[in-house]
Amino acid sequence: MIDWVLFVVLALVTLGGALKVVSAEDLVHVVLWLAVTLLGTAGFYAMLDAGFLAAIQVLLYTGGVITLMLFAVLLVRREGGHIPAGGVAEPARAGVVALATAALSGFAIVRGGLLEGEAYRLEPKALGQVLLGPLALPFEALSVLLLAAMVGAIVLARRKDA
Amino acid sequence: MIENPWVWGAVSGLVVVNVFMGVAAWSIWFERKFAGRMQNRPGPTQVGPFGLLQPVADLLKLLQKEDITPKNADAVLFNIAPPLGLLTVLGGMAVFPWGPGAWVPADLDVGILFTLSIASLMTIPVWMAGWASNNKYALIGGMRAAAQAVSFEVPLLLSALVPIILGGSFKLGDIVAAQADGAWFALWPPGPGAVAFLLFLLCSLAEANRIPFDIPEAESELVAGITTEYIGMKFGLFYLAEYMHTLIGSFLGAALFLGGWDGPGPDGVHWLVAKGLGLFALIFWIRWSLLRYRADQFMSVCWKILVPVALCTVSAAAVWKVYA
Repeated sequence: MIDWVLFVVLALVTLGGALKVVSAEDLVHVVLWLAVTLLGTAGFYAMLDAGFLAAIQVLLYTGGVITLMLFAVLLVRREGGHIPAGGVAEPARAGVVALATAALSGFAIVRGGLLEGEAYRLEPKALGQVLLGPLALPFEALSVLLLAAMVGAIVLARRKDA
Repeated sequence: MIENPWVWGAVSGLVVVNVFMGVAAWSIWFERKFAGRMQNRPGPTQVGPFGLLQPVADLLKLLQKEDITPKNADAVLFNIAPPLGLLTVLGGMAVFPWGPGAWVPADLDVGILFTLSIASLMTIPVWMAGWASNNKYALIGGMRAAAQAVSFEVPLLLSALVPIILGGSFKLGDIVAAQADGAWFALWPPGPGAVAFLLFLLCSLAEANRIPFDIPEAESELVAGITTEYIGMKFGLFYLAEYMHTLIGSFLGAALFLGGWDGPGPDGVHWLVAKGLGLFALIFWIRWSLLRYRADQFMSVCWKILVPVALCTVSAAAVWKVYA
């Protein structure tokens, strides 16, 4: 019973936040609503007994990515106390794409048998052993890719005369 | 009745939060006395014996002030920022091991990650306050707070990784238990633990915006930084949140590196409190002794010194764990 109440509250928070992300008029509000949505997702992970994933979600996404976004927002031009967000230019097409995506993932969840059985509980230790064992090569390749992206960003951002 | 998780959560939460709030309020009195003594003056003396009732007087004063929201401010964000700030600080205490065994409100498997992730949320209300005030000093303060948080998160997490590696668990209770009988991580193994402890202390100062790293508030350049437009209890909540943040950082440092509730004689919550408050006093001492870093110096200290040192420390701890 309590699980259901929690689930419904979390779902409302997550979906409501997501709706506000596309409909809010101020860019700052958009970023803050995104934080609400991401926290809601972390709540789902916690409900599924995936504490590690929930903590990482809050630490990296809400604590890290959102902070970076807020930092970047301040570099944008401001008009009379707020930054207008673009909003949804074509609601009809956006709606169709959103519904199609939801239908596709819903189909995958039902056909993939994800509704049956217990949630798989991932121990941090097992995750570490997989990442540094069988998956070590792809894992390292990803870090090299990120490093390359970082170097590229620095090169692009560097002024010519400096 | 106490076995019911809802009852246990409510009771332990209520006790921990209220005790911490009280300690934070009187720590302001303690800091004023401490600072006064360092500057050869008595500090508060008028309200109650030794000025002990000063926090009560301050609270009454703050509550009486007019509640002002600036005309061009983003009213919603401006008003929810202070309570949100306090909330993010308080949340992290839920997993704290106060003593051996059942002295933990919620002993999560990923306790340390939980505390650190909740603490990392603090930036959002601080930034919100800076933005919503619609004041240039507050805005610069908010921008600095975001830059500082993004940078200092890196060495802070890396230094917290050292006790996780050495203790072999994300559970705060296990990390403390691994240091039983004087094998504190700040002392043993010699080297990585002590360096990580220093890094953790420095980064906690930055996370809680304390001197020498209080650049988001920097009163000599930014008036009062993010709190410029805040008065009354809204200002009070920010002030309290900052103290609580420092207090929790000290207790976390005591649990991660100084053996938590372990000590000579009977183990228990008294050792944790003594160590936590000792670190807290050390932070005051630093605050009233040092000068503030400039924003750019501060960034280069973080990225050019603290991050490489932290990476080396983590590697050293991993090598120790595997080979020793």
